[in-house]
Amino acid sequence: MPRLIIDEREIEVPEGTKVIDAAQRLGIVIPRFCYHEALGSVGACRMCAVKFLQGPFKGVQMSCMIDARDGMVVSTTDEEAVLFRKRVIELLMMNHPLDCPVCDEGGQCLLQDETVSGGHGRRRFRGPKRTYRDQYLGPYIKHEMNRCIHCYRCARFYQEFAGYRDLGPLRIGDRMYFGRFSDGSLESPFSGNLVDICPTGVYTDTTARFKLRRWELERSPSLCNQCSLGCNTAANAHHRGVMRVEARFNSEVNGYFLCDAGRFGFSYSNGGTGHRERPLSPRIAGAPASAHAALTAAREALDNIAAKYGPRAIAAAGSHRNSFESQCMLDLICRTRDWRGPVFFWGPEDRRKTLSAVEGLDGEIAVSMREIEKADFVIVVGADPLNEAPMGALALRQAARKNAPVVTIDPRPIFLPCGFEHFPAAPEKIERYLGMLVWKAVEKDAARFGKDAEEFCRYLAAECESCEPPAAMARLSQLLASCSRPAIICGTDVTLQTTPAFAADCVRLLRLAGKQAGLFFLLPGAGSFGSALLSGTDDKTFADLVEDIEAGRVRALVVGESDPFHHYPDRARLESAMSKLELLVAIDYFPSETVRRASFFYPSSTIFETGSTYINQEGRVQFAHPVHCGGVPIRGGEHPPRVYSDLVPGGDHLPAWKALWQIAGTPDKDAGPGGISPEKFIPAALPAFDGLKAGHGYPVDGPRLLTAKAGFQGKWERASADARTGPENPEAFELLMVEWMFGTSEFSAWSDSLDAAAAAPHMSMNSKDAARIGLCDGDTVSVELDGGAFEIVVSVSDRTAEGVLVIPRHHSFEWRKMKDSPARVSAEKIRKI
Amino acid sequence: MLPDELKFKLREMIAGAESPREKAIDVMFAIQELQGWMSDEAMVEAAELLGMTPLELEELATFYDYIYRSPVGRYVIKVCDSTVCWLQGHQRVIDYISSRLSIPMGGTSADGLFTLLPVCCIGYCDRAPAMVVNNRVFGNLTPEKIDRVLTQLAEKADFSGSE
Ligand code: SF4
Ligand code: SF4
Ligand code: FES
Repeated sequence: MPRLIIDEREIEVPEGTKVIDAAQRLGIVIPRFCYHEALGSVGACRMCAVKFLQGPFKGVQMSCMIDARDGMVVSTTDEEAVLFRKRVIELLMMNHPLDCPVCDEGGQCLLQDETVSGGHGRRRFRGPKRTYRDQYLGPYIKHEMNRCIHCYRCARFYQEFAGYRDLGPLRIGDRMYFGRFSDGSLESPFSGNLVDICPTGVYTDTTARFKLRRWELERSPSLCNQCSLGCNTAANAHHRGVMRVEARFNSEVNGYFLCDAGRFGFSYSNGGTGHRERPLSPRIAGAPASAHAALTAAREALDNIAAKYGPRAIAAAGSHRNSFESQCMLDLICRTRDWRGPVFFWGPEDRRKTLSAVEGLDGEIAVSMREIEKADFVIVVGADPLNEAPMGALALRQAARKNAPVVTIDPRPIFLPCGFEHFPAAPEKIERYLGMLVWKAVEKDAARFGKDAEEFCRYLAAECESCEPPAAMARLSQLLASCSRPAIICGTDVTLQTTPAFAADCVRLLRLAGKQAGLFFLLPGAGSFGSALLSGTDDKTFADLVEDIEAGRVRALVVGESDPFHHYPDRARLESAMSKLELLVAIDYFPSETVRRASFFYPSSTIFETGSTYINQEGRVQFAHPVHCGGVPIRGGEHPPRVYSDLVPGGDHLPAWKALWQIAGTPDKDAGPGGISPEKFIPAALPAFDGLKAGHGYPVDGPRLLTAKAGFQGKWERASADARTGPENPEAFELLMVEWMFGTSEFSAWSDSLDAAAAAPHMSMNSKDAARIGLCDGDTVSVELDGGAFEIVVSVSDRTAEGVLVIPRHHSFEWRKMKDSPARVSAEKIRKI
Repeated sequence: MLPDELKFKLREMIAGAESPREKAIDVMFAIQELQGWMSDEAMVEAAELLGMTPLELEELATFYDYIYRSPVGRYVIKVCDSTVCWLQGHQRVIDYISSRLSIPMGGTSADGLFTLLPVCCIGYCDRAPAMVVNNRVFGNLTPEKIDRVLTQLAEKADFSGSE
């Protein structure tokens, strides 16, 4: 490890550290524009000049281009270096407009900082400045090219790092332009990072533009809760509205970046104009009520039900949206009150998949997003990273940039922003393909794998015998055999119940073959890992609750941040069940259908308003700090109330767990309403939390809740049995309902900011299937399900697996017409219109 | 729309390359030869043939000054503005041509025959000041010589004169 001296202080840094980073470790931030740790060095801007006094380099050099070496003596304050930087910043400022007061970047601008730190205070240049025409770049990013200093960061991020091809450097000399071929929305769903990464105000966040200055903001370290990855964010609020979300660095999770859904998907939390109305007032039978009245009335009504039918007539439902606090509280309440539940999953399939993922993951094989970037072979099975966990796709791209082969085995016509090989496979074929790929790579060593793996090996060998592998598979197996750090990314949405465990076993097999193999699951939501940890052994899901309600066993339902109407696949049945209920209590921040129907409604705080713990899909415990108290935002909200009160308008919300606790009453007198805190009830629900203190008490990069060693799961036997029986009607198509990055989630349904990016829904099908039933790309069809029909446009591709219809759970049309799921639909039920 | 015949030729040209994008410049030259310049439509079509995005092709097109992204005259006069020509009075050459054709730098004459542009060093330093007209180079420029060249060009629709 090289030791060097920078500004008279000695430091030892890992091999390959650039001098600019070595200095930063000493707290010396050398000015820079083009250098960014994630993007690497190009030495384009000349701003990071320092003077090398001793060692292998001499004189003024760029600190971003030179690796730290033993014996270097570096000065950042040397006169010559200081003058050099002063001249560079003067040159860069030559064409820059002098209008920071009207620039949205002002106050958080690297160019401002470096101009001041570089000591350039007076413009000597008298010539005309170059000016540009700006482009329309879509709903999120505003373009102001006059502010560009040609550091290339945007192009390097956009094209090299993120892999999109519609924004880049154009023209030459001082006409250099960064933009698109023509006006139009940026194609990259990672475009928001341009705002963070551009050192000047060329790209600013349209959604926050001209609403604030950085110094007016309340800021807190927060998390994204829109998918299971748990990216780290910095939330910014102003006058009771969340104004902007930025990426917060976490080396193991999201690195420096965020996806656009995570960055722009906060508008649901702001009530008022420009956003779908957020329910901020407690309600009794639809009419506004005071907090106290609503909570008390709900408690009394629940007590009545318990008195009349017994406590088991009350059921509680949570969701993958819940914070871990809320989930533990639901668990606590159900245990102590003898209510039914809590259920967190919509159907037994989801539940088993998530549970087996959580069980199959151990500390040895679980990998983080950062480790995916370092993998030298990645297999994606039953997962659509870009749609189900967008930042995962960015991590995959980093692996692919280092020449890792990427293989996807999935029924969907997957797109990834990198080179990859796709094997279209219906869900029941996924394991078979994965098995072949892995078996052919490890076969030759199988003899020494030991007893544990014996049966699995035998099973895989038999599978490979029984059918012909797709072309290209053999070559990929060879590549897999020669790699050393392969990773499997496995989804839990379209896969069979057995696939997560199967994928885990494949990883174990690769490890027996001497590889540092890793496993990375994608789960349905931010709270999925937590709900799996709390889901007992009773195998109950929301589907069972519906039966219980229909049979009259359940009379009252308490839903905490959950909207069955969004998720349940049979709307008609759900409606009739819900109308049978004597009591529906809803606690939420979305204006959902469930909330609309609730007899008692209490507004809950969003992730921005209360401290919340989330456990991401690799078992990492992280905490989102509240950024503000919430309420009706002053900007874009209504006129403040004209009556005097000491309450914050719209501030009558509580963290879901608190509201639940108050609604449930307090059977043990010792713990009155105030006497309960997550620090006590979380460890009570999950002993792994003993000694962990919420909030600042969690270690910075999140402890991981994983078992030490899970061993072979051995669930593949059932898989083969399932696959062999096959569907009753093999001619019928399997309906696969899938997630899209924009347009399918609840966040999307209630955030206008996400709606802006949502494409119209379409149904993907294989070209042979389409030809067989006479459909062409672009046709509109009516698909008749047991519960009615819906219309949708067809998209034909030979990258979609045969025998499946892939449909997004898009909120713009009513797809919830399935009597059973997974549903099948025969060819004659699909009519062209 | 590019004519089918040209498209056919371009496809063949691209098919012969190891990777399509290495033919990007040749494809643009071929289109320019026929159409005079690269219109937005031509860019989009060429990019598609090359398996590139229009932006990627535009990055190249706008980097090189022999690719024209707006219409130019039949003859593009490029006056060298690099060091030696600059010393040898390139500005006088520009001024002379400008006034003779009544066009500013970058302009195209009313008859659509001439466009005036600057160019970087063309290696004619020993015969500075110099200019390039389409693919021919002229050195040791004097007003008389410029007159001669321009008159000749204006008279001949199909120019194939020599220095
Ligand atoms: S637009 Fe911003 S990031 Fe891109 S080159 Fe200009 S200053 Fe750099
Ligand atoms: S990848 Fe997932 S967790 Fe990360 S920002 Fe996007 S939606 Fe949020
Ligand atoms: S940061 Fe080193 S040259 Fe730009």
